[in-house]
Amino acid sequence: MNNVPGAPTGPIPPRAPVRVVIVDDHAIFRSGLKADLDASIQVVGEAATVEQAIGVIAQERPEVVLLDVHLPGGLGGGGREVIAGSAALLATTKFLALSVSDAAEDVVAVIRAGARGYVTKTISGAEITDAVFRVAGGDAVFSPRLAGFVLDAFGTAPADIAGDELDRLSARELEVMRLIARGYSYKEVAKELFISIKTVETHVSAVLRKLQLSSRHELTKWAAERRLL
Amino acid sequence: MTTVPVRPPLVRSSDRLIAGVCAGLAAHLGWPVRNIRIGMVLGSLAGGAGLAFYAWLWIMVPTADESARRNARRPASPIAPAVSQPPPGTQAGAPFPQAPGTAAGPPRWGHPDAGAAAGGAPGSVDALPGAIYAAVARPPWFRARGLRYGKEILLGAGLLLVAGILIAQLMGVDVPLGTLIPAAAVLGGASIAWMQLDETRRAGLVDKTKADQAGGWARLAAGLALVVAGVLVMVSGSGSWEQTWLALLASVAVLGGVVLVLLPWALKFWRDLESERAGRIRETERAEIAAHLHDSVLQTLALIQRGAGNEHDVVRLARAQERELRNWLFQDPSRDAGQLSDRIKATAAEVEDLLGNAVEVVSVGDTAMTEGHEALVQAGREAMLNASRHGGGTVSVYLEVSGGRAEVFIKDRGPGFELGNVPEDRLGVRESIIGRMKRHGGTASIVSTPDGTEVRLGLPAINMDNAEGKP
Repeated sequence: MNNVPGAPTGPIPPRAPVRVVIVDDHAIFRSGLKADLDASIQVVGEAATVEQAIGVIAQERPEVVLLDVHLPGGLGGGGREVIAGSAALLATTKFLALSVSDAAEDVVAVIRAGARGYVTKTISGAEITDAVFRVAGGDAVFSPRLAGFVLDAFGTAPADIAGDELDRLSARELEVMRLIARGYSYKEVAKELFISIKTVETHVSAVLRKLQLSSRHELTKWAAERRLL
Repeated sequence: MTTVPVRPPLVRSSDRLIAGVCAGLAAHLGWPVRNIRIGMVLGSLAGGAGLAFYAWLWIMVPTADESARRNARRPASPIAPAVSQPPPGTQAGAPFPQAPGTAAGPPRWGHPDAGAAAGGAPGSVDALPGAIYAAVARPPWFRARGLRYGKEILLGAGLLLVAGILIAQLMGVDVPLGTLIPAAAVLGGASIAWMQLDETRRAGLVDKTKADQAGGWARLAAGLALVVAGVLVMVSGSGSWEQTWLALLASVAVLGGVVLVLLPWALKFWRDLESERAGRIRETERAEIAAHLHDSVLQTLALIQRGAGNEHDVVRLARAQERELRNWLFQDPSRDAGQLSDRIKATAAEVEDLLGNAVEVVSVGDTAMTEGHEALVQAGREAMLNASRHGGGTVSVYLEVSGGRAEVFIKDRGPGFELGNVPEDRLGVRESIIGRMKRHGGTASIVSTPDGTEVRLGLPAINMDNAEGKP
């Protein structure tokens, strides 16, 4: 299941271990995920509710938090609330949202709260490992579906000069998003567009920033139409 | 028309002079509404029998809106969109037989025969009248013969009557004004108040915020005041003003006291009623969800347990169930069904079921189906089948509709193939994909590398514009 565009397509170079906290209210899923993750990923903590998660994250200060979108506890905000509660650590701790739901409202809400990416729970251990390293390295992780949401929200026409830079995607960013939505890995995107993987990552990060910061009228309208607001 | 075996249920129609009783009765009996109205007036002259009958029907018979709303009562909740299409087997799983039962009951409630006999035993054969009612909701005479200035004419008739009485008195005829005026005041006040209550019923308790609250209260108060004044004058025998004022004061004080005592009770009963209603709606919802889960998820889990040895089957069952559940939970009922993205998703689901490999669909934009889009879906299906068969893993499908142009990309991660190496007699790719798209003015290209194959299908906007005219 190649849900993550950054799926490993070659031998993974040895990497420094990454400290990870898993936040999910299903113990079965947590233990399954732990077993699936690469040995280079060190799970330093687990949490099942919003309060627990904020506590464990503050105590362990992991590099990456694998965060379920739907969580019990807190004020009912789920993953979004965990990110908000850990806002002080956002510079050092990266959040990767995991969700079984592909409902746009959940995904866009956590991304806008500050998560660096979103993957569905059905992806394989190797893919999730790769996604963790990518997020730890400061990059964004977009699944095809998230790329689809972005294209839906920002529209598929490239930016004109007049508009606010945050409110539209550049032609290149659109191309990258389209290819990711089509199921291309970052490497394949780079090959297709004759650019380096690093450039692809830069584009994706720029799109993530726009998704997080844009107050674009269409984005709010889009969200309102889907009853996200 | 009286020979029609099943009559429309007795409801007060929205095409009304006073409360829609006559029009409703006419629709129910199949008689001309004018006859009914004349009959009512004549009946009223006969010792007020018509009036009493009218008032009784007014209270007992639900309005058309109310009846329709009860028939179409749907639970409102975050997941209601899915729940509102009752899944098969709802009846069996529902512990509240009255949930669907009473929903359509009230139309019978006001039936002339049933009303007198049973004072509200809900009918058991209820789905039928509801459906028929929907069919005859607006008989043609409603618009054709509806009295456009009915209210004005009624008002004029009333004024003429008053004028006639005054003239008669001037000419020396002894008219008992002392009884007539208070009686008229009582009648008028009661009508105003009831009409207002009726408005509230029409607006529905659920959306009562939308009803014109201030105006409504004013009308209700005016009606009450008229009735009280009329009764007072009648009882006090049109005596002096001081006497009337004293009586008014006393009665208002008594009424105030009664309200003060009864208000907490009324509020309590109202709240109990509300909470009970909410509880029942929740219960119905829960029952529907339970029924759905029983029919789908539990069955699938049982199948998975029995076939646990075969990994392929388990994955296929799990995928199919996941799809079904997602569809049930997240489908947006306000969206038009049968659009291009729906067709592509349905096709992907079909291929997934057929071959067992996951087919992930991401769609951006949407459009209504045309002949060209049908070809696009068919070509896409062929490409998905190939991708699933030869790619052997997850198939990614991306649909984009922008500016009328529709594009579908189907990507797999199989070993890839060379189009030139495909034997001439294999029609899958050449005919079903490339040929089909070309025939409908579209494009198709296949890019195959050792890392995987991508089929790119495009349908330009012109094609859609041509077919725009048809729905």
